[in-house]
Amino acid sequence: MSEYALEIKSLSHVFGSFRVLDNIDLQVLPGQIVAVVGPSGCGKSTLLKAILGTHPPTHGEILTDGMPVRGPNRNVGIVYQNYALYDFLTAEKNVSFGLKMDETSMWMRFLATRKYFAKRRDHLKKSLDFLNVVGLSEACGKYPHEMSGGMKQRVAVAQAFIMRPKIVLLDEPFGALDEAMREDLQMMLLRFYQENLIAKREGRRPEYTILMVTHELNEAIYVADRVIGLSRFHTQGEQGAAIVYDRPCPVFRPDDPRDFSKFVEQREELRRAVFDENYIKDRNQYVTFWKELGTLANSVAGI
Amino acid sequence: MIRRDIPRWLFWLLAIGGVAVLLGAYEMLAARATRTNPLQTTIPSFEMLVKGLNKIFQPQGEPENPKSPMFWVDMRATLSRLIIGMGIGVAASVVVGVLMGAYRWIEAPLFLSFKFLSKIPQIAMLSIYFNIFETGEVLFTSLVALGIFFSMTQSIYLAVRQDVSDEAINKAYTLGASEFEILYEVIWKQILPKIIDNIRLQTGPAIIFLLAAEMAVANAGLGYQIRMQSRILNMSIVFVYLAILAFIGLIVEWGLDTLRQKLCPWCVD
Ligand SMILES: Nc1ncnc2c1ncn2[C@@H]1O[C@H](COP(=O)(O)OP(=O)(O)O)[C@@H](O)[C@H]1O
Ligand SMILES: [Mg+2]
Repeated sequence: MSEYALEIKSLSHVFGSFRVLDNIDLQVLPGQIVAVVGPSGCGKSTLLKAILGTHPPTHGEILTDGMPVRGPNRNVGIVYQNYALYDFLTAEKNVSFGLKMDETSMWMRFLATRKYFAKRRDHLKKSLDFLNVVGLSEACGKYPHEMSGGMKQRVAVAQAFIMRPKIVLLDEPFGALDEAMREDLQMMLLRFYQENLIAKREGRRPEYTILMVTHELNEAIYVADRVIGLSRFHTQGEQGAAIVYDRPCPVFRPDDPRDFSKFVEQREELRRAVFDENYIKDRNQYVTFWKELGTLANSVAGI
Repeated sequence: MIRRDIPRWLFWLLAIGGVAVLLGAYEMLAARATRTNPLQTTIPSFEMLVKGLNKIFQPQGEPENPKSPMFWVDMRATLSRLIIGMGIGVAASVVVGVLMGAYRWIEAPLFLSFKFLSKIPQIAMLSIYFNIFETGEVLFTSLVALGIFFSMTQSIYLAVRQDVSDEAINKAYTLGASEFEILYEVIWKQILPKIIDNIRLQTGPAIIFLLAAEMAVANAGLGYQIRMQSRILNMSIVFVYLAILAFIGLIVEWGLDTLRQKLCPWCVD
């Protein structure tokens, strides 16, 4: 197993003659929740599609758990803004779809072997357990067309995470939901983060590693433990968007009050560094995550 | 006022009344025709229709060597041609349509031809098929199969492109599905209601097509019998056969609707 859940090495992406992304380097540790923010059209979705493997980058390399990405695969989970659930499956079967694909073969299903039915029962049970985790146990028999947007997005989240991928990508996952739903789902991600902390304390590898694109700066800082800003507003901006911001951010617990005043300062810094087109700076000025993590570790270790 | 509701009982009273008026008017017409010419058979009365109905179920040939009743001979001929032909046609269009919707390198060489061929009224293609195939059962089943193949393939290909999102497919890969599993577990299952709808839509044209061919070159079948009996002005039998065709249509519609509800309870439109 690699130290990093995700590693991006000097990735650039060009559409025709238009350079979208320039020389992106990024390492994500297992258990991190990383928010990606940036002006609209700066290439956030392009970056995610590259990691997913559907649109390989024109330059550079992407590794998930040390393995190069060669197309969409089991290592990378995805949650889309439009849910992309399977209309013909109930919530429970949507969530267990991956387990079925992964652990049973076409032949087992076709011949309906006893082993298949045993597996199937096990999958449906796991699926129900996970629906409980995302707070949807009562909806397990519902089809997507019978569910609200928030319910569908919970199913989509469960569908991705039940496979325990190395990293899950979320592209503006809550953009289509109303405020109350949004808060519920943010809370759910915070609970995942707490699970990660427990796993780390017990010496296990954390299960929930997330790279989440959002256009809400509050959401980014509230949910994530690390924020990345992608934009062209840096000294080499004509070469494409780069990571111009990469810093840790405060961790909330699910039951903490949603007190955004705690991070007003960081939000303003983020806004200026990533979204202000008149503020052109060196691209590495705010890329201090690893340095800060080092000093944090040192201070914890008492050095 | 547009769309104003009327009581349920009134609605059904009018519905039954409408049919009764139609039947009554027909019977009056038949009675009048019979008054002018007692031997006429062009507008058979209900009595004559019942006789016709009886006749098609009577064994044919000499009493000592009876043959199957006309009805069974014709039904067997027509239905076997229709079912086998449609079976082959549907299977082929599902395979080709799904592959075209799934693989660009299959779509590219085929989609222009299918777009064009699916626009030719298949009834006009009969003239070609008559020359290609020898007369016989193969001719009729091939006619039916080919008659629905082009437009059905086109519909299924479009259904795959429209109803199955790239997201659904990419996600299936991330959930560990193989390519074949995506074809079956994602694409096929998503478009199954569209396939059933298309079978229903294609049954009408397929029957038209088959009857036309039977009228022209068959020696058994509903189309053949309708033509033969109308030539000798045996309208009592022709009318009964037309009613049978209507019933076949109703049964197919009901059967496919039921099938769709059973197989695709998730599909609400
Ligand atoms: N297939 C494509 N062909 C050409 N240009 C594209 C394509 N996809 C995206 N772009 C361009 O790349 C830029 C980044 O797009 P995207 O990654 O979707 O931005 P974001 O998600 O940050 O809003 C945009 O300027 C967009 O116009
Ligand atoms: Mg985007």
